[in-house]
Amino acid sequence: MNRWVMLFVCCCGLCFVRSAAAETGMTTDARTIVNHAVEYLREDTSESLVHMTIHRPDWERTMTIQAWTKGKTDSLFRIEAPAKDKGNGTLKKGREMWIYNPKINRVIKLPPSMMSQSWQGSDFSNNDLAKSDTVIDDYTHELIGTETLDGKTVYVIRSVPKPDAPVVWGMLTLKIREDFMLLSEAFYDEDREPVKILTMEKIGMIGGKLYPTRWRMAKTDADPASGDEYTLINYETIQFNIDLPDHMFTISNLKNPGR
Amino acid sequence: MTQKITRPEISPDVQMAWRNVWRNPRRTWLTVSAICFACIVLIFMLSFQFGSYETMINSSVKINTGHVQVQAEGYFEKRTMRRVIPDPGPVIKMIKGIEAVEAVTVRANAFSLVSSAGRTYGAMVIGIDPEREKDVSTLADLIRKGNFLPSEPVSVDVSGELSGESLEESSGALVGALLARNLNVAVGDELTLLGQGRDGSVAATIGRVCGIYESGIDEFDRNTLQITIQTFQSVYSMDDAVHEIVVNVRSLHEVGAVKKEIIRSLAVMPAGKDLVVMDWDELMPGLTQAILIDLTMGIIFWFLLVLVVAFSILNTFLMAVFERTREFGVMMAIGMSPNRLVKLLVYESGLMTLIGIGLGILIGCGITWIFQAYGIDMARSSEILAQYGISGRIYPQLSLITAFAGPLLVWVITIAVALYPAMKIRRLKPVEAMTHV
Repeated sequence: MNRWVMLFVCCCGLCFVRSAAAETGMTTDARTIVNHAVEYLREDTSESLVHMTIHRPDWERTMTIQAWTKGKTDSLFRIEAPAKDKGNGTLKKGREMWIYNPKINRVIKLPPSMMSQSWQGSDFSNNDLAKSDTVIDDYTHELIGTETLDGKTVYVIRSVPKPDAPVVWGMLTLKIREDFMLLSEAFYDEDREPVKILTMEKIGMIGGKLYPTRWRMAKTDADPASGDEYTLINYETIQFNIDLPDHMFTISNLKNPGR
Repeated sequence: MTQKITRPEISPDVQMAWRNVWRNPRRTWLTVSAICFACIVLIFMLSFQFGSYETMINSSVKINTGHVQVQAEGYFEKRTMRRVIPDPGPVIKMIKGIEAVEAVTVRANAFSLVSSAGRTYGAMVIGIDPEREKDVSTLADLIRKGNFLPSEPVSVDVSGELSGESLEESSGALVGALLARNLNVAVGDELTLLGQGRDGSVAATIGRVCGIYESGIDEFDRNTLQITIQTFQSVYSMDDAVHEIVVNVRSLHEVGAVKKEIIRSLAVMPAGKDLVVMDWDELMPGLTQAILIDLTMGIIFWFLLVLVVAFSILNTFLMAVFERTREFGVMMAIGMSPNRLVKLLVYESGLMTLIGIGLGILIGCGITWIFQAYGIDMARSSEILAQYGISGRIYPQLSLITAFAGPLLVWVITIAVALYPAMKIRRLKPVEAMTHV
């Protein structure tokens, strides 16, 4: 009698272990896809020149920004145009951000309370920049389906924050093409209501590889009556895996470029 | 005899009641003083409450919003930099022409990063006109350290520790006390402001703390910083535009009329396009609600108070009737009808109540009037009051309503209460009553 019970328990245990393994396999898969997608966008290092257009129902403004990234955590942005804002810079290292303004020649570290404010008035928040890389580890990713676009498979991934992760969003849905090209990323609040969506509108050859050359971040809750609110990022040039000196991502370089 | 005829006829019952009232002066004075005390408390409390509402509204209005504001449409809801009054000049001129208007000023607001040597906080940077602001708000009186903003921006050399060659203009800034504490700055220290201009450009400037203000409203003291409107307009690329035209009216009662007048005039002005007019009630919706809640609580409290007084009066009347059972028995035995006896007792309690109320109104109004003249110092006494912007002195407001509403309530309840012992007499049997000790 006892033997039978033992056997039964063993069988159950085995089944459980198996299904658990299958599940982790699934999530690892989705996580790998997201990881690859982020790596594909950033490579080891990059240097780019982009035009950022902030569109509001009654006005529009375009800035030219030079950007450098290294690994998944370090970035430096510097405004080149319009002339009025030339030299304003943002440095991101890990989860911390600093802002430099040439007119007053000061570097300000962004306090945590300001991280959800918009960056340079755009639809990107400071958090979008500061936490762009933490997506991989702060969320649990799950493949919820596949689509086909122009003959290529597109993975639809739902990412839910881990219980203790310091995140702003309640949920993300990512669409990633089979070649790990991120096609869109939708941001949801804690109630799983959509807040904004990042769409790669154009994908072309730039910097020696296929890359999204036009990004569009749009608010989903924008009042349709008053018109669209969105921010466009157009890549003019981008170079990958170039040699960037270590002092590139330091506060002194943010303040005194090129020294 | 002839003299008596010319005097107005007083019914013998009333005369008898009057004599009865003074037959036991101690008992009478006890009853009268209970009634009197209730009236005094009610008059004072009611006046105090109305006074504190007026103080509440006025001090909130004076610290922040003003009685009436003109804003661009949608600015109040969205608070976006771009919703401005592009050309405030003619509008101000028109408002100044309205008779009941006491003062007018302009303001502009921008949420910005405020940074001291080591700390950074987000705060609302407010551009004010130092000269005209004094007439509209109490800001100048709230300065606890340092001075109010100078009328003309002063050029100060801050290039000392800067790498550069420039002699930069550093404008003065007034900082809320809690914000100053958070930033760890004192008068004379330097602050960096970093925000976004009206055209979307980066707005940045350096300000030197010239004064620290404390309104007692934590939210205001923690989240605001004030610079001159000229500095604001140049730093935030505002040109001549402002966000708010703030209007103060002579008295609260005239706010409605002034608002209507402004709306009417704006409608025919080219500069008035897309502008809206709001009064303090719309600007601070929480304030009216707070007042209503407080008033409701007050009314409940008064009823409880009156109820307690009613029971003590009932007790006094009842005791009086028990004490005088023998006397009533004799009266009935010699032919007084029970109805007339009831009437007599009602007259007695009526007279006592009248004396009590009369004295109560006199003393109550006197006390209230003294406090109305000198004010009650409430400074730092209560954080709740401070939240509503009541700081310093509260002046009770004596009016017809506050002077008579309470005593009227006491009158109605006392008479109602006095009926019960009076009615008991009807059931008295003369013989039993006479043997009652």
